[in-house]
Amino acid sequence: MYAAFRGELFKFVRRPGIWVLMILLLVLAVLIGYAVSYLVDTFGSAAGSQGLPAGTTMADFKVALYPENFVKGTMGTWGALGGVFALIMGVLVQGSEFGWGTTKTLYTQRFGRLTMLFGKILALAVLLLVMVAGLFAVDAASSWVVALIDGKPVAFPGWDVIVQAIVASFLIFGFWAIFGLGLATIFRQSAMAIGLGLAYALVVEVLIFSLLRGFGGKVVQQIEQWFPIANTGSLARSFGEIKIKGIPPGPAPFADATHSVLMLLLYLAIFAGIAAWLSRTRDVTA
Amino acid sequence: MRRPPPSGVGGERVVETHGLTKHYGKGIIAVEALDLNVYRGEVYGFLGPNGAGKTTTLRMLLGLIRPTSGSARVAGAAPGSPASLARVGAIVETPAFYPYMTGYDNLRLLAMYCGVATSRVDACLAEVDLTPRAHHKFSTYSLGMKQRLGIAAALLKEPELLVLDEPTNGLDPQGMADVRNLIIELGKGDRTVLISSHLLGEVEQMCTRVGVIRKGKIVAEGTVDQLRGAATLTVRGTPAATARAILIQQAGAENVTALPDGTFSLVIDLQRTAEINQHLVQAGVAVTELHADERSLEDVFMELTGTVGGL
Repeated sequence: MYAAFRGELFKFVRRPGIWVLMILLLVLAVLIGYAVSYLVDTFGSAAGSQGLPAGTTMADFKVALYPENFVKGTMGTWGALGGVFALIMGVLVQGSEFGWGTTKTLYTQRFGRLTMLFGKILALAVLLLVMVAGLFAVDAASSWVVALIDGKPVAFPGWDVIVQAIVASFLIFGFWAIFGLGLATIFRQSAMAIGLGLAYALVVEVLIFSLLRGFGGKVVQQIEQWFPIANTGSLARSFGEIKIKGIPPGPAPFADATHSVLMLLLYLAIFAGIAAWLSRTRDVTA
Repeated sequence: MRRPPPSGVGGERVVETHGLTKHYGKGIIAVEALDLNVYRGEVYGFLGPNGAGKTTTLRMLLGLIRPTSGSARVAGAAPGSPASLARVGAIVETPAFYPYMTGYDNLRLLAMYCGVATSRVDACLAEVDLTPRAHHKFSTYSLGMKQRLGIAAALLKEPELLVLDEPTNGLDPQGMADVRNLIIELGKGDRTVLISSHLLGEVEQMCTRVGVIRKGKIVAEGTVDQLRGAATLTVRGTPAATARAILIQQAGAENVTALPDGTFSLVIDLQRTAEINQHLVQAGVAVTELHADERSLEDVFMELTGTVGGL
């Protein structure tokens, strides 16, 4: 397994697509999460404040950019959007093998198919951990810069909260990546896997719950708690919401963090299991 | 250039299949009840037209495709098992590598997977004359270079069995000759080579033994000479009756056939041609035609596979 893991890491660090994806995520985290938000909140026109509760201005939103809220901000923004990057990552590392025909090369070396797959999953986990750690690092650094510019105190949340958030994000990214890897294995290609993965992420669950809301009451919530994306959102929200003057708090998470963690672990196991079963049993004809 | 059958033939079986069968869905039979034995030290040619089942068979031997029924042992273990793969180097169809990595890095990667020292990489690249392009990306390689990198990858493990599926596919004549010579070199000694091809000249030059596959079944197996069968001598002489009597006297009635065009066909050791001629002349026969007829492997192949024209 170690040789397979080492081999996968060897490939990952040499693959431009992996770096592009990772750097893009980090650049977007700084640009969208902080730079653009700071500019809008600081220099936005009065028109931008229209529709806000009386007494609330755009400048009040800057509190979200300060170090004390960086964990909540990172979880709120990237707990959902970062998953798309993780999905693409998972698809790429598996789907490309089919595209290049390297599956047969991998399977005719020394180790069994499952060893090769779990070596890949382990290496993917390392990649995701670097991705998540990088995300938190650039967000922390950005919030620190914003605090310095605004002359606010640099008060980061405790290490325990930061580590918990990194672990939770790792789990969320992990689910997305394994979902992508599973789809790539099922379809034996990247394009279909990315397309369907994104469609599910951005459309399917949203549509299902929009329709189900017609029933009203707690029905939606009861069903929602069994779906993966709802659980990634719930887990991200479990780190709390940023309090902005005059803005009422959003809905509380539908389930506690433990429920969401268990559900995500279950989905992760299901997609890893599908990938393992197909990898082990399917003929390699290309 | 072709080697004689090694003394190992009939000895240790490196590849052994019993009733190996692969069906796809209902009605598509890719390989049917294949019994194949490849012995240590031989270069075995697996010959057949496109779609005959060569690649499916090789994929089953490497564990890439699971047989519908039957069994196989490759290098003393189940196909595709770590024990088997550790002793087998293979190219299946076009070699596939990571396009964004150099040839050198691709082999380094495979060396990691195989548990082979990185120092083997340089040696293997040198063996296939790829050292000058080793640090160029695989995506920039020509088909011939890709094929050579595939052979280098197959050699990394210093395998006792090399499985090469159409190794000269897409190569120019010089490239084909280079790969052919390389395979002949690799097949020397104790190493066993199982090579599939539809190029008869290639098989004729490289292989000690040949199996011909057609529609998923082995239809003939033996050395190239055995497959070609005995050579014949064609004779025309007058008077024909005297010629016939002399030929029967020299070769035996069972080995002489009178053909409709008035010639006689003799199954005989061709080294006796001059002697036969001498007997005919001494008996007063005017010999107007005397030549050896040797069937080419292509003739045999066409006959066995029912293939017409190009393969």
